[in-house]
Amino acid sequence: MSLFSVKPMQSIIVFLALLSFASLANRPEFEVELKNHLFYPAEIEIPANTKVKLVIYNRDTTPEEFDSFDLNREKVIFPQKKSVIFIGPLPPGHYKFFGEFNPNSAQGTIIVVPKKSATDANIETLALAYTAPLAANSLLFKEVLHVN
Amino acid sequence: MNFLIFKKLTQFSLLLLILSAFSALTCQVALADGVVVDKVYHPYVLPNEQEFEWRMLSHQNDAGNSLGQRIAYGKSITDNVMIEFYIVGERDRDGDFGLSAYEVETRWMMTDQGEYWADWGLLLEVEKVHELNVWEVTTGLLFEKEFGRDSLALNAFLIYESGSDIKNEFETEFRLQYRYRWLPQVQPAIEIYIGQDYTGIGPTFMGIQRFDGQKQLKWELGFITGLNGDDKDHILRAAIEYEF
Repeated sequence: MSLFSVKPMQSIIVFLALLSFASLANRPEFEVELKNHLFYPAEIEIPANTKVKLVIYNRDTTPEEFDSFDLNREKVIFPQKKSVIFIGPLPPGHYKFFGEFNPNSAQGTIIVVPKKSATDANIETLALAYTAPLAANSLLFKEVLHVN
Repeated sequence: MNFLIFKKLTQFSLLLLILSAFSALTCQVALADGVVVDKVYHPYVLPNEQEFEWRMLSHQNDAGNSLGQRIAYGKSITDNVMIEFYIVGERDRDGDFGLSAYEVETRWMMTDQGEYWADWGLLLEVEKVHELNVWEVTTGLLFEKEFGRDSLALNAFLIYESGSDIKNEFETEFRLQYRYRWLPQVQPAIEIYIGQDYTGIGPTFMGIQRFDGQKQLKWELGFITGLNGDDKDHILRAAIEYEF
């Protein structure tokens, strides 16, 4: 390979490095607990096309490994510690995850919902006023509103 | 908070320093003249991980057929640093297969997976050729970026060869892998390898089979064709990694 082809290679690497560290904005944060080898909540709704921070607290006395082929993530969570996993941006859909050490019990799903519906203030009001399950998910709406 | 900012600035400065050194050197050095095709590294390390690895490379060109194999044991020594020891064997001109080199390799996962726009890692490798005073020190940047179910991995290496039995020189290598994460067990990819007098491209298949706990088996099989004008220039590469 000639020096003519080495130069573009350097430029690409520098460009990618700068781009990688450029986006340091705050991200919506979601919390999950691992207790008795079960994830709480087992279903987590996150907004579409948004990078989010998933904080997992391991309340058990044994380590666990968060694993998901759908999300392309693998992370060890030490006992009585927390671990951070960055997810997305993802298109709407269901993304399964599980604990490698307890795959039969430690299972969960990330549900990616369209951002447009999540940012609608009316939906948030209705959810808080009339629907208990949706009210539980108000964190999602607040996070998305905060981001926007 | 201040600590986090300091940590990020330190990482960024270090990265720029390495990139600057790399940019300065690549203008004046040759690209790698050995066999460039090996493995495209990913910038990820898991704590408490141990692994045994076997790699095979069969190179067939106009000059004949050569065979190289390496076995390795690796262990993560911190949450984001892994160290791996290799024994390398090659078939010589007489057709005898024997020990050819030893190697120690360290990989550092610089950023958490998905934390930034792309993921970064560093590689440091020291190799000593068996019974010869030939040393090879490799430093490299490992890059990976997800695009939905696709992943792009890039490796850029700066190599320094030295010793009384070899001409001291800097070399560079570049490796690329574009992978589609179809199924855990089967993930097709395209790989490109570039070094001095060698450019190769070809399909690779890889996969992972999980067992209990952290136990898993990873496999890779690639067929790389040289684009240097030789009538015949093919490389078959295979790798099996058992993690536990």
